[in-house]
Amino acid sequence: MSNVLRPYLAAVRSTLTAALTLENFSSQVVERHNKPEVEVGGSKEVLLNPLTISRNENERVLIEPSVNSIRLSIKIKQADEIERILCHKFTRFMMQRAESFIVLRRKPVKGYDISFLITNTQTETMLKHKIVDFIIQFMEDVDREISEMKLSLNARARTVAESYLIAFNP
Amino acid sequence: MEVNFRKIDIDAYDEDVLLETELYDADPRAPSQVIEETKAKAVAVRSSLNKGDITGALVTILDNPPYGPGVDEAKNLTLQTLVTVLNSTKSSDIPNVVKSLPLESQDILMKYLYKGMAMPGWGDVSGSVLLGWHEKLTEVAGTGSIVRAMTDRRLV
Amino acid sequence: MILLEPHNYIIQTTLAEKFIKPSSLDVQFVDFDGVRFHLSTPDRKTALLLSMNIRCWDELVQYGALDVLKREYGPLLQAQPESEYNVSLLVDLETAPPEGEERDNFVKSLALLKRNALAAPFERAFSTQKELESSGAGQGDLLQIHYRDEEAIYVQAAHDRVTVIFSTVFGEETDRIFGKVFLQEFVDARRLPTIQNAPQVLYTNREPPLEIRHIQGLRDSEDIGYVTFVLFPRHFNNPTVAAGTISHIELFRDYLHYHIKCSKAYMHSRMRYRVSEFQKVLNRAKTEVASTERKTVTGRTLTTR
Repeated sequence: MSNVLRPYLAAVRSTLTAALTLENFSSQVVERHNKPEVEVGGSKEVLLNPLTISRNENERVLIEPSVNSIRLSIKIKQADEIERILCHKFTRFMMQRAESFIVLRRKPVKGYDISFLITNTQTETMLKHKIVDFIIQFMEDVDREISEMKLSLNARARTVAESYLIAFNP
Repeated sequence: MEVNFRKIDIDAYDEDVLLETELYDADPRAPSQVIEETKAKAVAVRSSLNKGDITGALVTILDNPPYGPGVDEAKNLTLQTLVTVLNSTKSSDIPNVVKSLPLESQDILMKYLYKGMAMPGWGDVSGSVLLGWHEKLTEVAGTGSIVRAMTDRRLV
Repeated sequence: MILLEPHNYIIQTTLAEKFIKPSSLDVQFVDFDGVRFHLSTPDRKTALLLSMNIRCWDELVQYGALDVLKREYGPLLQAQPESEYNVSLLVDLETAPPEGEERDNFVKSLALLKRNALAAPFERAFSTQKELESSGAGQGDLLQIHYRDEEAIYVQAAHDRVTVIFSTVFGEETDRIFGKVFLQEFVDARRLPTIQNAPQVLYTNREPPLEIRHIQGLRDSEDIGYVTFVLFPRHFNNPTVAAGTISHIELFRDYLHYHIKCSKAYMHSRMRYRVSEFQKVLNRAKTEVASTERKTVTGRTLTTR
């Protein structure tokens, strides 16, 4: 892990750990319903203050805690058009598989690239610190994967252009 | 048929409805008094900084911070003054400064760190400085401090 | 395989096979740019009819495609092409050259049917350049080949060069951005000393180059790109070199898009791998659930109700 990224990921890790104190909580509005309060947003008293962790305007994480669920949204660094499209493709690819990534949300929160929704059921059936590990690992790898894809695209483009043009040599 | 009645927010007429103001005790100070106090604190902080007393400057600015509605000017001035203090601290001094802060100030500092990170690019706010402080503060104050920042309704 | 081959692989392999063992046949297949082929034996097993349908045939005829094909295929060329097709060649297996290099060359030349038809405008431009060179100024007509629905090749000769312009459409956002990266490399690649002799490449997005700006009906949108190749006499003075240049440049558009698609496929396989890695990390968070089947002494399975 690069040294510049470390405090950022450490902050996400500690904030997420703090936020993952969830308990079962039935809906106060509809009887016999139990839904993630952070998504419903119906009762203010069960929502906590949303916290943002940011490195700069283009790289930030929003954590919205509530009594029985938290929502974590990530904005991934995108320096140029290529990174933007690669990031879009990658996150879309992943969100289409949200079924198997149980903590993944199918749509990102507005202004972010990808969102996770963790509920009390998940923290009860899964190891909490491992969920945190997963999120951190995701954040680490996604940056690296995007820059590697960009490099490989450039490398391919160069080879393609050179082999085409060199064939004109008599 | 008249369908506009569907758009009426009936919760507003509910006697049991929970209001934002009921979630926490309001600031007893008047907005004008708050801004005066903040301005005075900003001056005090500057003189502490000139003496190189970072802990003193932090304690001053983090004491009794403005919260609640109607005091945006004071809030911004506080954040701006705080950011000046944070930016002017050497990163090697941070752990000792954080340790010497009283518990109350640590929690309020945590709130301000999150507030600063929520508005990247505002004024002199620098993500890496805030992240550096956040890391050291978490080491000293623990996760509990983050939980308190999350649950305290008195938004700074 | 980095470079695409100018000949049609199906024609080549099928003909080579039929020379050895003639049998009745009726196959239809396609090539790049929506070109359709029909290979059949309408009368007898040893008379193969190869027909081709190409979108811009009328334009090609105008630029002398029939002459080129007559030169290449001579008596094989049928006066009346098969219906629904533009051009037909009749190959008699009995009078074919003997096995060996001669036959391979013959088969290969048949497989180059599409390339030869498309070569006409380029050959015409090259000869126009020769004529203009002596006068030292002026430029030839702009030859337009609308070889795809929304894409075209423009060829224009001047006294010292031949300009070839491709207009190409990028179907989706990703293609457009990838295409930009690729084309930028084409522009930059000429700085390498080994590629100094290659034609100059220019690339513009949306804005058509000066040479074709007067043409009516050019689409004005973000997803269209124009690539200009400037061919100098050294690229076509020698007939062998000229033939190579034509085969090569005809396939530019297909080459570019082929590699864009390849890159996308590669990205996709990478993402697939990375996401499965993430899945593994997440699975580590799941607690072990005892899933061993419990049985009674008599062998019946215990089920929870």
